[in-house]
Amino acid sequence: MADRSATAGIGEAGDDRQIVANDVVKSFGHFQALKGISMALNKAETVVIVGPSGSGKSTFIRTINRLERHDAGRIFVGGIELTDDIRNIAQIRSEIGMVFQSFNLFPHLTVQQNIALAPRNVRRWPKKKAEEKVMQLLERVGIPEQANKYPAELSGGQQQRVAIARALAMEPKIMLFDEPTSALDPEMIKEVLDVIEELAESGMTMIVVTHEIGFARHVADRVILFDDGLLIEEAPPNRFFEDPQHERTKRFLSQIL
Amino acid sequence: MSGAAPKGPRLGLGLSEDVDLLRFEQQARAIEAAPGPAPATPREWIRQNLFSGPVNSLLTLASGVFVLFLAYQILSFVFVSAQWEVVQVGMRGYMIGSFPVDEAWRVWASAYLVIILAGLSYGVSARRLRPSAGQVAVGAAAAAVAGAVVFFTAQTPLVRGLAAGATPAAIAGALVGRLFGRKILRPLIVAWVLVFPAIMIIVRGFVGVPPSEWGGFFFNIIAATVGIVASFPLGLLLALGRRSEMPVIRIASVGFIELFRGVPLVAWLIFSKFVVDLLLPPQMVIPDIIKAFLVMTFFSAAYIGEIVRGGLQGVPAGQYEAARALGLSTTRMMALIVLPQALRSTIPAMISHFISLFKDTSLFVAIEVTDLLAAARRSASSLLYFGTDMETLLFAGLIFWAVAFSMSRWSQRLEVRLGVGRR
Repeated sequence: MADRSATAGIGEAGDDRQIVANDVVKSFGHFQALKGISMALNKAETVVIVGPSGSGKSTFIRTINRLERHDAGRIFVGGIELTDDIRNIAQIRSEIGMVFQSFNLFPHLTVQQNIALAPRNVRRWPKKKAEEKVMQLLERVGIPEQANKYPAELSGGQQQRVAIARALAMEPKIMLFDEPTSALDPEMIKEVLDVIEELAESGMTMIVVTHEIGFARHVADRVILFDDGLLIEEAPPNRFFEDPQHERTKRFLSQIL
Repeated sequence: MSGAAPKGPRLGLGLSEDVDLLRFEQQARAIEAAPGPAPATPREWIRQNLFSGPVNSLLTLASGVFVLFLAYQILSFVFVSAQWEVVQVGMRGYMIGSFPVDEAWRVWASAYLVIILAGLSYGVSARRLRPSAGQVAVGAAAAAVAGAVVFFTAQTPLVRGLAAGATPAAIAGALVGRLFGRKILRPLIVAWVLVFPAIMIIVRGFVGVPPSEWGGFFFNIIAATVGIVASFPLGLLLALGRRSEMPVIRIASVGFIELFRGVPLVAWLIFSKFVVDLLLPPQMVIPDIIKAFLVMTFFSAAYIGEIVRGGLQGVPAGQYEAARALGLSTTRMMALIVLPQALRSTIPAMISHFISLFKDTSLFVAIEVTDLLAAARRSASSLLYFGTDMETLLFAGLIFWAVAFSMSRWSQRLEVRLGVGRR
């Protein structure tokens, strides 16, 4: 049975929690990737998840929009519980934007078609409205002149910014970033982080999985350390980096700083 | 290679391969760009390339003699000893088999429909693709040769006129297509979709000619078209079915593919009478040829299913994830994201399969259809022209080759247009 105190009142008036995860467990064969993760994400909050490779941080955010099905525990997004019910999944996905490490732009479509695809086909927007949205978003991520190019014609940083615009086109309430800068050349990391930071400041609710400690320190409202499928420490950035409570966190920080 | 990591997910190419590729590209470019050792006169060129040493000189001489001998043999056969009269007399049979002569206008009408549409399409696309003068010249020469062959083998003035008119009709179509350009793209696509049913109505409709009397090259074209058009969607379904998460669908798809792919097409054609009847209520009677078409469609779909499956496997998992994360339904994900990418990469294999299906329509001889090849062989064994196998097979082969080659060229244009290998 789920913990009553954690899941009580979800979706009721005055509840600011956009995501509630309670004791989420996920295994791949014999490998247990998530060993019981509980956390909540408030509206307009930016949470950064750090941790070594294989610690389950990517798997966790992928359970939130059902790219991975969790084996046990409960996940609520915007007051709706994520179950096998396909309608719930569709609704939750349309409220969550996701940005991937390897961009995953659609190579056969132009930048503008990439961004307009979901609004046109899922939200059923008329062409004109979608086109206006595309241009508005490309302005926002700083590459309006690339609208008619194909992804392969853009730099990595530009591709990732298109991917962010594509996710934003659905006007999601929540954004998930899965190591958005890990596949980028060093000189392109900043342009992408700047866009994500601007989003955080505009009040978007976000989870960012990243290795960019400077970014975490600067932008996060809370920082979370994952290790070995467990949530080890959760604290505001000052406390997380200056005064970590757990031995594991100290070790992790000493390795990366 | 110290410290530098490979840049991002570049198809798993590590740094060293990247460097190799780069070097290879540079070399290739250098070779292409090499100005050649000075502006060589023909004589110098010959000396440098063909007679640069004793061994090379010997090889050049030997192969030169062989090529000349071959050319002499072929040319002397084609222009001196061949009895082309057999082709002239047999032409109608080659083209339409035992199709009733009085109804031949139906075939002509169909042919003109296709010729004009092809011309229009070429005109519309040539505007963008800009064929070189050489390509235009080759195309014109091919059309002239084809026209001349039909013209000189035609038996009546009317047929002669119709044959002579084909090339001008195609050119007129191309010019009109060029004039209107992409404005007529949509109606043109609709016309291509409707042209086959239209031909069926022209040929078969009302008191037309039943399938059992179709024959010759006309039959090869009809059978290939039916096979390609019908088996493509079925093949898509099989490919998707084979990857389905539902075991029943998966097993059914695998079973279908293995069954139809595992038996020779000739055997299926002969079986077709009985196989198709198993699937139909006993009251339903359909002509044997149509049954054979159905079985050929199943056979071809099995291959297409595997070709498409290969293409599907080439679409990275990230594409599915991105589509799902955006909230696309499975149907939309497949139709808008996965299949367009999968099909693009299968064009070469797909066209290869279509070419081979087209040639395989000559196997219908097993169920007593007199297609182009059968008609050619029959005319070579007639009393009057006994022993003209070379002439007739050469002619039939040339026609098959011309169609197959056109398909191949067309697929290359399609690849360029869709940017296969570029994006």
